[in-house]
Amino acid sequence: MRMIECDGLTKRFGTVTAVDRVSFAVEKQSIFGFLGPNGSGKSTVIRMLCGILEPSAGTARVAGFDVTRETDQIKGSLGYMSQKFSLYDELTAAENLAFYARLYGLRGAAERQRRDELIALTHLEPYLNRRAAFLSGGWKQRLAMACALVHKPSVLFLDEPTAGIDPVARRELWDLLFALSSSGMTLFVTTHYMDEAERCSQVGYIYMSELIVCGAPDELKQLPAVNPAGTRRLDVNCDRVTVGLQVVRRLPGVQSATVFGQAMHLLVAESVSDELIHATLREAGIHGADIRPIAPSLEDVFVALTLQHAGPA
Amino acid sequence: MNWPRGFRAILFKEFLTVFRDRTTLFFMFFPPLIQIVAFGFALDSDVKHMALVVYDADRTTESRALVDAFVNTQTFRVTRTVNSVEELTATIRQGRAYAGLQIPPDFTRNLRAGRPAQVQVLVDGSNSTTALQALNTALGVAFQRSLGRLLTETGRTTMPIEVRPQMLYNPAMRAPNFFVPGVIGTALQIATVFAAAMSVVRERERGTLENLLVSPMSPWGLMLGKLIPYLCISMTMATLLFLILRWVFWVPIHGPIPALFLAAFLYIFVLISLGLTISTMAQTQNQAMQMSMTILLPSIFFSGFIFPRETLPWIFYAISTVLPATYFIDLMRAIVLRGAGYADVARSLFILAGMGVVWFAVCARRFQRKVQ
Repeated sequence: MRMIECDGLTKRFGTVTAVDRVSFAVEKQSIFGFLGPNGSGKSTVIRMLCGILEPSAGTARVAGFDVTRETDQIKGSLGYMSQKFSLYDELTAAENLAFYARLYGLRGAAERQRRDELIALTHLEPYLNRRAAFLSGGWKQRLAMACALVHKPSVLFLDEPTAGIDPVARRELWDLLFALSSSGMTLFVTTHYMDEAERCSQVGYIYMSELIVCGAPDELKQLPAVNPAGTRRLDVNCDRVTVGLQVVRRLPGVQSATVFGQAMHLLVAESVSDELIHATLREAGIHGADIRPIAPSLEDVFVALTLQHAGPA
Repeated sequence: MNWPRGFRAILFKEFLTVFRDRTTLFFMFFPPLIQIVAFGFALDSDVKHMALVVYDADRTTESRALVDAFVNTQTFRVTRTVNSVEELTATIRQGRAYAGLQIPPDFTRNLRAGRPAQVQVLVDGSNSTTALQALNTALGVAFQRSLGRLLTETGRTTMPIEVRPQMLYNPAMRAPNFFVPGVIGTALQIATVFAAAMSVVRERERGTLENLLVSPMSPWGLMLGKLIPYLCISMTMATLLFLILRWVFWVPIHGPIPALFLAAFLYIFVLISLGLTISTMAQTQNQAMQMSMTILLPSIFFSGFIFPRETLPWIFYAISTVLPATYFIDLMRAIVLRGAGYADVARSLFILAGMGVVWFAVCARRFQRKVQ
């Protein structure tokens, strides 16, 4: 069942087109990772899907409801965690939670029960009486998460939920997202982190207002644009990798070369043999390089597609 | 009763945030208090003991009696006596005296001979209030003394016509009685409109408004939830201002006290609704501030607070009829000074109530359930 579906979704602000004919669909229970540089239109898409921004053209349905015509029905089934976590600084964690519970019409025993469930889910217990202003980034994010989940939404939108929080909190958030997804919730997450994108069941990449690719991470890595015919991807592990990079780049047939930790990642024509690379490196005084073929990463996918997209223009 | 969706949640949240946000609370209470005290003491148009410089070239009992007559009006006090016309004009030019009295050497001689005895009075016209008062007092003194002499000459002991004025409602002509009820109107206005406008705009700036928009809350729930806490705060403020009016400026309240509170309640209701309407248009706190000022400034000049509305050109008069402050200041003066009851002020009360309902409906209807 498709929980999010949009077709030709477009938003223009005056003469600027912020989102240009974006179409995709997200299946129930999946985690959809939405990537793209700042200002590419990610938040605008989320706002339109949440029914708080009128699309200029195109249609979108969330949980089966049309976002422009059935805004009231949508509100009960979607949760939204905005970029800045949007908590009330003057209120304590418990009061923030109580506020959102009441906003969604929970009262009395139902409110207390849901509150306890959410506290158990997010481990907020020790911080309940602390003002939101004095919570650290990770705890703010958990609290915002609890607030967004208060009405048990079937679709949850998270706009850069891990921006600026520590790695432990980031990993714990993803554990929570997987738990929510396996309980039947559909998640829509924007992020800048490639490792987070790899964890999604489906990713979309938006660049200059256009959705340039959408699919499962493994499918995207098989795309012909990412793996041009007659090329292969190599991981070359050697000493003095930055020096090696300079000489390898000058080789005819090397299409791209980037440093990756102690190694470099190359995209080379099949005519470039391992022996040729070894020989070139030896000339530069680098001996004993370790060359292995590798599959493209998601980053490779987005780099390739961005270059291809920007190329013809 | 079925409240609009989200009302209880917003009300609960607003009460907590308002009382914890000390800065906003301080800026709601402090400026009005400063305003009422400053305006109450400073806006005193009774000019007393103005500096007077005297050049008495005559130096007789009569000339000294004339100077005493000037001082006895309490409008003047002699700060300097000089010996030339140049010194006299220089003193006024330097701003060391508001008025100068020059008595020529032949003053007593002319007086005794029954010829018109001329006295020169120089008035600093650069301040119209003091100039007018100085002029009127000087003319009054001359008139009174002339009449006194005429009476002695004709042998009559009473005036042919005697006017006995009776000042109703403000018998002592005290300026605070006139100004302070008006100051309450402007003081309440600034704090209330700002606070209400900021409360929604702040949510817009912080991003919490987006979360409210994705929730099933209704605009009426939001606006009503915002209205009530600010109504409570502003009513507390109004009570405080009434206490200052009565016990600091000693202005007697002649009308029914509940009428005073009813007027304040309706006025504050209009102000908050106006503030909330501004908040539906402004995207930033700066914009909200500027929009509030466009309402607040005309209120100070055209509401009858300083200048009588009747003397305004028609266009400003027309503007004054739509300003809530116009009706509230009118109500204050009627109830506090003239002792007017409900029946006397029903019209103004109804107008304020009508304005409140209209603006509240406007703010709830205008509130966009979308972001821009």
